[in-house]
Amino acid sequence: MSYTLQYGQIWPFLPRLLEGAVVSLQIAVLAFCGGLFIGTACAAIRTFGPRWLARVAGLYVVFFTNTPQLVQIYFLYFALPDMGILLSSFAAVVIGMTLNAGAYLTEIQRAGFESRRASEMEAAEVMGFTRLQQIRYVILPHVARVLFPPLSNQFIIVTLGTSMAAVFGVEELTGEAFNINSQTFRSIEVFTVTAGIYVVLTLAASVALAFMGRALFRARTELI
Amino acid sequence: MLKSFLAAATLAVALAGAALPQAVEARTLDEIMKSGVIRVGVNPTLPPLGKFDDKNEIVGFDVDYAGEIAKLLGVKLEVVQVGSPDRIPFVASGKIDFVMGAMTRNTERAKVIDFTVPVHTEVLGVLTTKANTFTDWKQFDDPSVTFVQVRGSTPVKFIEENLKNAKVTLLDNYPDAVRALAQGRGTAMIDVIDFMGDHMSKHKVEWRIVETPIDVYYCSLGVAKNSTGLKDWLNIAVYDLYRKGKTTELWKKWFGMDMIKPVGAQPFF
Repeated sequence: MSYTLQYGQIWPFLPRLLEGAVVSLQIAVLAFCGGLFIGTACAAIRTFGPRWLARVAGLYVVFFTNTPQLVQIYFLYFALPDMGILLSSFAAVVIGMTLNAGAYLTEIQRAGFESRRASEMEAAEVMGFTRLQQIRYVILPHVARVLFPPLSNQFIIVTLGTSMAAVFGVEELTGEAFNINSQTFRSIEVFTVTAGIYVVLTLAASVALAFMGRALFRARTELI
Repeated sequence: MLKSFLAAATLAVALAGAALPQAVEARTLDEIMKSGVIRVGVNPTLPPLGKFDDKNEIVGFDVDYAGEIAKLLGVKLEVVQVGSPDRIPFVASGKIDFVMGAMTRNTERAKVIDFTVPVHTEVLGVLTTKANTFTDWKQFDDPSVTFVQVRGSTPVKFIEENLKNAKVTLLDNYPDAVRALAQGRGTAMIDVIDFMGDHMSKHKVEWRIVETPIDVYYCSLGVAKNSTGLKDWLNIAVYDLYRKGKTTELWKKWFGMDMIKPVGAQPFF
């Protein structure tokens, strides 16, 4: 048996794959932004907050970084309805991915916060800055530069992680690929094209983030 | 940066090229007999065609039926677990010798794999809950309706063609799809109702089956394209099992009733 590649059967489905890619990006942007908000807050709490609150944030991080993301979303999608909470597929995926990204972003940003220089903090204290002002005006601008490259990497990881939304009925890029595969059975062609779209998507995101990092924080990111 | 991009693009293309496989050869009838083992794909999420028993082994009509085929061929049976979306790629890539698991034969699938003569039928119906009051399947052609279906299963295409106004949520397997329906994530599911009993009993929901048979499909053994020798032999074996009453006996054993719409085996098979 020899396999003949038949990409001609796949091209008519390209618009559906691209629509799926848009949904993937929507999930990634929402989950990353939400995760960044949670991560910044939790990293600040773990570094500067009261001990009991830092422990609570620590428990959150431990739980979400030590359980698979798929299990977390599965819980939100299939277990919560038994408690009377019915989330849509999209909402369950976005909330699950946000909480997961938040935990990883907490740890990334905590490392950044701890890289601050003691002299900067002393100067800020001498100038009478409150703790919040120290974070806002001294620490964040400093750590943003250090953190931009790992944050960009995390965005790519979140983007690729959106593929698991297919399991919950969200028709993003992988979901559409599964559907087209079950219609055409041209697995090699479908998944080669899908992989290509993911590569384009993540490379474009990397380039955009690299430019943004250079413009905003003078952060240098090596693409390759 | 441009150089980096070109390097990345070149690498991506090279990897894609390297990833293209030399197609795995499907085994011929002779090779199967020589190896002493026939590998059969069974979907364990379609009770009683296939399901896990207390020892976590796959049992069911398909396993027993494949066992009869193996006996006729004089080889041992190796059951390989497959799911609805991956069962055809498993055959096409030569990972298994033939696939069962409600393999409805249709023209799309027949472009990729070959089918034997039919083994059994499946009669499609609508599964819904008491909350829905529709009495005919055509009433479900409504924008307020969301079908919860299994990705890669035959009714998905049927809904696309005949119930265009309804929405569809696709999940990967039957347990998840029936649970989603029980949780109120959709209005109904179209599938072979005989296969749903096990899943339905796991949820405290007042189920309702719309009493209108929608369509009848014929399920065969799926074999790799052009494996003519194997397919010819299987055709004779399928006819033989029907003629001897073995198919009917196994169906009754697992389904507790006769096939709703018998295949009607003829020597012209």
